[in-house]
Amino acid sequence: MNQQLKVLTTAKERRQPLGFSLGTYLRSMDWILAGATLALVAYGLLMLYSATHADTNISTPFYYVRQQAVGLVIGIVVAVVLSVANYRWLARRQVYIYAVTLLLLLLTLVIGHGSETVGANRWIQLPYFRLQTSELAKLLLIVSLGAVLAEGVELRHRFRFVILCVLYLLIPSALVFLQPDLGTMLVFFAILVVMLVVWGIRMTHLGILAGAAALVSVVVLRLVPAVFGVHLLKEYQLQRLTLFLNPEKDPTRWGYQLSQSKIAIGSGMFTGKGYLNGTQTQLNFLPAHHTDFIFAVIGEELGFMGAVLLLGLFAVIIWRAFRIVRMSDDMYGSLIAAGIAGVLVFQVFVNVGMTIGIMPVTGIPLPFVSFGSSSLVVFLMAIGLLESVHVHSVAGRPKGP
Amino acid sequence: MILEPAKKRRPAEDDSFLGIRVGVLMLIALMLFGVLGFRLWFLQILSGDQYVVEAKNNRVREVVVEAPRGVIYDRNGRVLVENRAGLSVGLLPMDMIDPEEDPQGFDAELSKLSVLLGMPKADLLSAYDKAKKDPYVTYTVRDDVPENPVVTYLKEHSQEFPGIEVDTSFLRRYPFKSLATHLLGYVGEVRPEDLDRPEFSSLEGGAHIGLEGVERQYDSLLRGTDGKKTVEVDAAGRPKRFLENKAPKPGNNLRLSIDADLQRAAEDAIVDGIRRAHEAGKTKAAGGAVVALDPNNGQVLALASYPEYDPSLWVGGMSVDKYAELTNPAAHQPLFDRAVNGLYPAGSTFKPFVAAAALNAGIVTKDTLFNCNGKFTVKGQTWKDWNPNPLGDVNMLQALEQSVDVYFYNLGNLFYEQPSPVLQNGVKLFGFGKPTGIDLPGETTGSRVPDKTWKAEYYQNASAEDRAWKPGDDINLAIGQGDLLVTPLQMAVGLSAIANGGTLYVPKAALSITDASGNVVHPFDPEVAGTLGMASDVLKTVRKGMRLVTEDPTGTAYKAFEGFPISVAGKTGTAQKKPDDDYALFMGYAPADGNTNPQIVVVAVIEQGGHGSSVAAPVVRQVMAAFFHTGAGTINAPQTE
Repeated sequence: MNQQLKVLTTAKERRQPLGFSLGTYLRSMDWILAGATLALVAYGLLMLYSATHADTNISTPFYYVRQQAVGLVIGIVVAVVLSVANYRWLARRQVYIYAVTLLLLLLTLVIGHGSETVGANRWIQLPYFRLQTSELAKLLLIVSLGAVLAEGVELRHRFRFVILCVLYLLIPSALVFLQPDLGTMLVFFAILVVMLVVWGIRMTHLGILAGAAALVSVVVLRLVPAVFGVHLLKEYQLQRLTLFLNPEKDPTRWGYQLSQSKIAIGSGMFTGKGYLNGTQTQLNFLPAHHTDFIFAVIGEELGFMGAVLLLGLFAVIIWRAFRIVRMSDDMYGSLIAAGIAGVLVFQVFVNVGMTIGIMPVTGIPLPFVSFGSSSLVVFLMAIGLLESVHVHSVAGRPKGP
Repeated sequence: MILEPAKKRRPAEDDSFLGIRVGVLMLIALMLFGVLGFRLWFLQILSGDQYVVEAKNNRVREVVVEAPRGVIYDRNGRVLVENRAGLSVGLLPMDMIDPEEDPQGFDAELSKLSVLLGMPKADLLSAYDKAKKDPYVTYTVRDDVPENPVVTYLKEHSQEFPGIEVDTSFLRRYPFKSLATHLLGYVGEVRPEDLDRPEFSSLEGGAHIGLEGVERQYDSLLRGTDGKKTVEVDAAGRPKRFLENKAPKPGNNLRLSIDADLQRAAEDAIVDGIRRAHEAGKTKAAGGAVVALDPNNGQVLALASYPEYDPSLWVGGMSVDKYAELTNPAAHQPLFDRAVNGLYPAGSTFKPFVAAAALNAGIVTKDTLFNCNGKFTVKGQTWKDWNPNPLGDVNMLQALEQSVDVYFYNLGNLFYEQPSPVLQNGVKLFGFGKPTGIDLPGETTGSRVPDKTWKAEYYQNASAEDRAWKPGDDINLAIGQGDLLVTPLQMAVGLSAIANGGTLYVPKAALSITDASGNVVHPFDPEVAGTLGMASDVLKTVRKGMRLVTEDPTGTAYKAFEGFPISVAGKTGTAQKKPDDDYALFMGYAPADGNTNPQIVVVAVIEQGGHGSSVAAPVVRQVMAAFFHTGAGTINAPQTE
C-alpha cells in the first residue's frame, strides 16, 4: 500500500514535476489579476504612444513604444516562468538574493551611469539593456526580506529581531540613498512597513520604529545642516521635496514641472481633450511626459474618466494582491504579496500625487505605465510572483464545493 | 525549517489577526486612492475651466501684425509722409541667457548688443525688465536699425545673441525732409499718459501713434487697425500652426490743404526775411512764422515756423543727445510751432481790427480827422508816434496807409471813454483772445485781449492803483501793444474775415480722408466760427486803407510791393516786446482790387527782425509771388515802419 502509493506519487511527480497539471495551473491562476495587469499595460502603451509619437528627436513615432514592448514581452515571459515556479524555492536562497541585491547596488554606485544634470548613478549598462538596478532591488528585497521574516515568524515579539530586520533593509537603503535615489529609498521603507505589519509586528514596536524614523528625519533635515553644516540631502532634493507645496514660487524649474502637470490634468476636465490631442503633452509643455509625468498625459487627454479608469485598474491589482496575502498557504507567500501590494500602493500614490500637486517630486515612476523597461519587467515579475503564490496555494487544496 | 510544511494550512495561531492587519492596510490603500480621486475631481471637474484657460495661455501666442499708417498728401496729391520698411531689433526673453543662471553670459550679451546698437546698457536692462513680463513676445528696443553693418552682424553672429530678434516694421519717411514739419508732426511710441485716454485705450505700450501735428490730430484715422496672427506654439516657443489670421487694415490716407510748393516758398521766405533782418543789423533775429490761408473757406495753404527740425529724428526713437540739442536755447526752440502757438504783440498790424471796431461802434466815421503831430498827450502822459513828423489832420484811410500812431492813440482814448469795452468786444469778433480751433493738437490758449476784468485779476496782488484800467491801456491796445497777445494764425483768420466780407472760418489743415483705394471717406467742409456782423462799409473802409498801404507811394509797404503785378492789401507792424528787439510783422491778402475775390491771406512774423515794412512785408510778397506764380521780382524795401 505504502509502496504502491510511493510509486504512484513518483509517477505523478514524473508526469507533473511542478506538482500540478497544466489544467490545474490554468484553473489556479488569478485571471482577474492577470487580466487587469494586461489591460493596464496595454493602456500604458497606448498612452506612451500618445506622449512620444510627436517627439522630434526620435526616428519613428514608435521608438519608445517599441522599446517598451520589448520590455513587455520579456516581462511576460519571466512572469509566466515565475508563476509556474514554486516561490518557496526562493526562500531557501535568501542569502544569495540579498547578496546579489547589495552587489548590484554597489556596482551601480561604482560603474553606474546616470543623467549628467543630477549627477546620480541610476543604471548599469548591459549589452542591449540598461538595467535600472534600484527597480530590480525592490523585488529582490521583498523576496529576501520576506524569507527572513517568515523564518523568524516565531520571534516577532522580540524587538531585537525587528531591529535586525530593519538593519537588513537599511543597508540597501543607504546604497540607493548614495546614488542618490531618494524615491527608491522611500519605496524600500514602504515595503518594510507593509511587510512588518502583515508579518505581525507588535504595535508597540511599530510605534517605536515610527518615532525613530521621525526623529532621524528631523535630525537629517534640520539639525545636521544647522549644527554641522553638512547637507545630507542635495539642494535639488530638498527643493523638490518642498516645492510641491508652492510650485508658483519657482515657475521655471521644478515648480514648472508641477505647474504644467496640474494645468495638463486640470484642463482635461471630465472627458479629456481626446487621445493624441492633449496640447500640454503634444506641445511639450509637460516635462518628462513619457516617464514620471505620464499620468498627466492620461489626465489631459482622457480626462477624469481616463484617470479613474487607470486608478481602477490599479485598485483591482492591489485588491487581488491583498487577497493573495490572505489566501497564501504560508507566511512567506503572504509577505511577498504584501510587499508587492505595498510597492504598488506607495508608487501609485506618490507618482499620481506628484502630478496633481499633493506629493513631492521624487522621481518615482508609475508602475506598468511609465516608460522604462526595468520598471516594467520588474513589476511584471512581481505579478508573476503573485500568481505563483496564488497558483501554489489554490492548486494544493483539495477540490471541493 | 524556514517554512511550514507545504500543502498544509497555516496554523491559526500564526495568523496573529492577519485578517485585521490586511484589512487595515487595505483601508489605508483605499483612503489613499480616495485622496487621489478627490483631488482629481477637484482639479478636473471643479477647477477645470481655470486650467483650460491656463493651458490656452500656454500654447496660444498672439503676434501683432502692424498696420501700415496712412499716407499724407498735399492738396495736389504729392506725398508728404509715407512708409518705408525698416528693421527693428527686439528682445525675446525666453530665448535669451537667463541672468539668474548665467549672470556673466547675460551681461556679456547685453554689452555686445549695447555696443552694436549704440545704446546705453542701462536702457537695454530696463527694456529687458519690461520684456520679461511677457517672455514669449519680442520687445522692440530699437527701430530703424541699419542693415549694414548691424543687422548683418547680428545674423552672422546669431549664436552670440540668443533671443535677439530682427523684425521688419513700418517707418515714416519724409520725401520733403523737414518741409511742414510742425504741421505734419511726428510718430513715436505711445506715452504712458496717453494710454489712459479713451482714443488710445485699445493700444498697448510700445505702440506707435502720432505725437504731434496732424499725425496726432488724425491719428485714429491714419493709424489703421493692426492685424493679429494667432499661433499655436510649443514649449520652446516655436510656432506649430496658425489658428487665426486677421489681416491688418491699413490706415486711411490724409490729404492736406497745404501746397508743398507754397509751403516751401513760405519756409524759404522766412529764411530770407531773417537774412534781411541780419543785413539791417538786427542780428538777434532767429525765428519766424508764416501763415497762408484761403480766406474763402479757412483752408490752410501754408503753415511755416522757423527754425524747423527733421521729423525723421523720431523714426526709430529720438536719441537723448539729439533731443538735448533741439531743446537747447541756442537752437531757438525748433520744436515750437510759432505759426499756431507763437504769442506776439500785434503791433501796428492790429490797427485794421481796431479801426473796424471803432467804425462798428460808431465812435468815429471814416472821415473823422485827428490832428497828428508826432505825439499824443492825455492826463499829462505823452505817447510818441513812430513817425516824429507833423502830418496835420489825418483821416482813417491815411492813418491805416501810413500807420499813424497818434490817430489810433486818439481812438484808444475815445474807446476808454466809452461806457462799455467796445474796443475789446470789437477785436474779439475777429477771433482774438481765444483759440482758432485749427485741426492741430494743443493750440495755445494764451492769446489775450486785455480788458478791465482781466487786468484786475492778473495784477490781483498789486495796488489798487496799478490794477485799475487806465486810458493808457486802451491807447496801447489801439496800436496793438500793451498786454495784447495774438498768434499769427489768429491774425490770418481775422484778416480773412476782413477780406471775405465778414465770415470767420475755423482754419483747417485737412482737406479729405481717403481710403487705401483713393475713395474719399470723409471730406472736411469749411467750418464757420462766426460772422463779424459789421456793416459792409466798415470792412470796405478798412480794406481800402490796407490797399493804400501797398499801393500809395506814402504807404508803409509801398516799396515792399513795388512792381508786384497783383493788387495786395496789407498792414505792416513793428511790435515792441522789451527787452527783445522789435518784431517785424506783415499781414496781407490778394487779389485786393475789389473785382476778384481774395484768394490768399498771408501773415508773416520775423522775431526780433526789426521793421515790418522792410523785413516782414517782403516775406509776404515772396509767398504771394509763389502762390500766383508771378515771380517775386526785385524787392526793395526801405527802413520805415
